[in-house]
Amino acid sequence: MIDIQETHKKFRKELSSGTVSLALLSILTQTKEPLYGYQIGKLIGGQISAGDPKGDAVTVKQGAIYPVLRSLEAQDLLSSEREMTDSGPPRKYYQVTETGKQALKAWTEIWNETKTFVDNVLGGDYQ
Amino acid sequence: MKTTDELIQTYLDDLKAALQGADKATVQDALADAEEHLRTALESEKADQEDLAENEVIQGVIQTYGEAEEIAQAYLSWESNLPPALAATPAARRIASANGTSAYPGFFGVFADPRAWGGLVFMLISLVTGTLYFSWAVTGLSTSLGVMILIIGIPVMILFLLSVRGLSFLEGRLVEALLGERMPRRASFTDNSLGWKERLVQLLTGKSTWLGLLYMILMLPLGIIYFTVMVTLISLALALIATPIAAIVFNVPFDAISYGEVIWYLPDYLTPLVAVLGVLLATVTMHLARWTGKFHGKFAKALLVSD
Repeated sequence: MIDIQETHKKFRKELSSGTVSLALLSILTQTKEPLYGYQIGKLIGGQISAGDPKGDAVTVKQGAIYPVLRSLEAQDLLSSEREMTDSGPPRKYYQVTETGKQALKAWTEIWNETKTFVDNVLGGDYQ
Repeated sequence: MKTTDELIQTYLDDLKAALQGADKATVQDALADAEEHLRTALESEKADQEDLAENEVIQGVIQTYGEAEEIAQAYLSWESNLPPALAATPAARRIASANGTSAYPGFFGVFADPRAWGGLVFMLISLVTGTLYFSWAVTGLSTSLGVMILIIGIPVMILFLLSVRGLSFLEGRLVEALLGERMPRRASFTDNSLGWKERLVQLLTGKSTWLGLLYMILMLPLGIIYFTVMVTLISLALALIATPIAAIVFNVPFDAISYGEVIWYLPDYLTPLVAVLGVLLATVTMHLARWTGKFHGKFAKALLVSD
């Protein structure tokens, strides 16, 4: 028997794999200043506080942001700088590059097209 | 009840277990990211949630970070799309990393392969880096052993071993940039919760410290071999290519072999073939540089990246 919860989870994961990149790029463009992983996670996870049983509702776990940040950096859309801290491990600060800003514009357009397409299908009348 | 550090360590162990079989460098990056996040999050959320005990806060933080299994999956799927630093255009990189082969097929395609050029540059500069590493390793080791009977011996030794760690990381970056072998992108840091004694034990008994030292020592002979072989082959290939020009255009008899009083001249129609031979040798040299680069990347990873 197919686990229906598992199917939902898979669907969520497939959807998030592109949207998270877009969201990260957008957040880092809007803030203008370099941010480290935890701050970005806070902004993206937003209102859902630690221990909230509805934590599942977040599209992406905070830990899953890091590999995406690395991937964006490898594509030269983000740049990073490591800074030492007084206590604890060094932090990696991420910043959007010029290529990243251009990519955001293009991706936003793609996103709008996709959104319109899905909205039209879901709200359509195919009877 | 577990302490905060134990909880973080348990999570990191779980993550490591979930990443079993993955690229060693990926594992190190994933662990560094997780530790950075958990400790930073703990510190800032402790202030917001004063009514909670520290280990309750960290449990919440770990939950928001995501289950080890899930996070490991995220790294694995992203890393498979993530090429090492130097591998031509993004499209070529994807093909190359998917097939595990060069994006530039064919015998002469090697001239367009950045890996071959990277290998060549690495082999040429390894004489310099190898000499520096070796001198530093031997000087540091003998100085610290020499003054060990004095009280300053211990701090000298510790400073020296720390420098070995730093240099190992730096060499790793060089190897990734030139040879394309995936190496750690962040230096491993020591656990802040440990006291100086435990950290010292970790430094002295850690496999990575001593393997790094071994690598630095081995780089001198390797560097000499790499440099000599490359310079010899490159100059021989260039000389062969230049021979017909010297012989035909400038009338310098480079295509002649003298044996006592007898001088053999290569027939005029064969002289241009010497240049062809030179081009072939140059191509073989590039293949050798590419292959050696690949080999050295694996070698560096085995010694410089700890499990």
